[in-house]
Amino acid sequence: MTAAVGLPSTFDGSRHRFRVTLEQGFALAKRSVLSTWRSPAAWVPGLVLPLMIAAVYSAQFAMATQLPQFPPVDSFLQYMLPASVLQSIAFGAGNAGTDLATDIENGFFDRLMASPVARQSVLVGRIMGAAVFSGFESLVLVLVFLAFGAPVKGGVGGVIAIIFIAGLLAIAVGGFGVAVALRTGSPEATQSMFPLTFVFLFMSSAFFPTELMNGWYQQVAQSNFIIDPTRRLVIYGWSWTDLLQAVAVTLAVAAVSLSWSYRMYLRRLEVK
Amino acid sequence: MWMTRRNLTRVVRMPSIIIPMAIMPLFFVVAFTGSFSGITEVPGFPTRQVINWVAAYALIQGASFAGLGAAGSMATDLDDGFIDRLLLSPIRRSSILVAPLLYTAIRALIPITIVMVASAMSGAAMPGGVLGVTLAYVAGVGGGVVIGAFGLAVVLRMNDIRAMSVVQTLAFVVMFPSIGQVPLVLLSGWMHWVARINPVTNILRMARQGFLGPVTWADTWPGLLALAIGTVVFGAWAGYELERRNP
Repeated sequence: MTAAVGLPSTFDGSRHRFRVTLEQGFALAKRSVLSTWRSPAAWVPGLVLPLMIAAVYSAQFAMATQLPQFPPVDSFLQYMLPASVLQSIAFGAGNAGTDLATDIENGFFDRLMASPVARQSVLVGRIMGAAVFSGFESLVLVLVFLAFGAPVKGGVGGVIAIIFIAGLLAIAVGGFGVAVALRTGSPEATQSMFPLTFVFLFMSSAFFPTELMNGWYQQVAQSNFIIDPTRRLVIYGWSWTDLLQAVAVTLAVAAVSLSWSYRMYLRRLEVK
Repeated sequence: MWMTRRNLTRVVRMPSIIIPMAIMPLFFVVAFTGSFSGITEVPGFPTRQVINWVAAYALIQGASFAGLGAAGSMATDLDDGFIDRLLLSPIRRSSILVAPLLYTAIRALIPITIVMVASAMSGAAMPGGVLGVTLAYVAGVGGGVVIGAFGLAVVLRMNDIRAMSVVQTLAFVVMFPSIGQVPLVLLSGWMHWVARINPVTNILRMARQGFLGPVTWADTWPGLLALAIGTVVFGAWAGYELERRNP
């Protein structure tokens, strides 16, 4: 009788565990954001390189916007906006995996596992940190594009939607990075996954419209269901259908990557 | 020669070093050809087959990985103290720099050959004949050596493996605003100006001429000059950085 006094019921216990997991996840996400912020070398290229590519491509391919097959854009810069945001995520979200691999290599991960921390919060913290930081980078990129005369026809809602999609995509991409980090425990191996995101980016309408491609490449590029709806929010205006399509596809990719990373996490705990 | 052989042996023993060098040029050929195939429809574009235009760009990009490899192996050798041991031994200092550059030149042949074969399979023309192919190889190997010399200088200066990301970013930044993807006549504003003075434009013009028509001296000598100046200037800088190094 005495032992039962003061103990939470099963329901209360679950709620308590969930709250603790969230609190610890939040603390670890904050650590992840702060450590990224304090290493400009980790995030500055993710902002500068997409901007540079956008500046160069918009000057190089300005004439292409006059082709009849080209979507009706104000400028090539406007066409490039979603691609630049996604490129920034390709650069930045991979850091979640690399940082976790560094934690594994320098022993911080083992110390965390030895402490009474909720198991899920380690993954949640790392991936949420990447998502928050990617959202911030996306906002900066969109503001720079707006300043240089590339309007988002979807208005403020469109901007918020782009940042939301960017955050979700960072979770999806970050999940793959975290899975590789947990599988290998090596920052080099995790970093070597980074060019793959570029392959996916290139094999899409990110840099040039699919209407101007041909053959098998066009078919592959047309199967990329994230960039096209996001771009339609930029060049045509607000559309719930486009938002839902981009979010649904990103969530599906995130489900795959998070499941894989969780499996790898359990496997690493077993190894320990 | 011994040091060049040592670097080449490292490639044989660690095939993972060669994978990006083999895969990335193929990716460049596929991605540039697939993504920008429609650009040839812009009035004034000099060829109807985009591969004839982008093959040279993919070739130089691929060869640049070989140059980065030279800088990477120097960074590793600095890190484990091998270079300091060499500096204390009775060998010519110049050989410490010549060896990785020779290694770069040999390594660059791999991505160049991959791009040439992939381009031919993608339907690229070579009206420039054997001379056109030779100049494409000269431009690729030379470009790799210039980037290699630049990489050696930066790595010796910074004395840190992190110098690699600086070299990589700068090589990328210099190659981008050129006639890599679009001819000079279709560029306007600041991009036209930057591409016109960018020495990479001359190297690309030399490499590309065989894909577009007969080889001319006018399209060749500026490229050769750019390669010679790049090798001498960056080589001298790397030599200076090595000289001021005290083991």
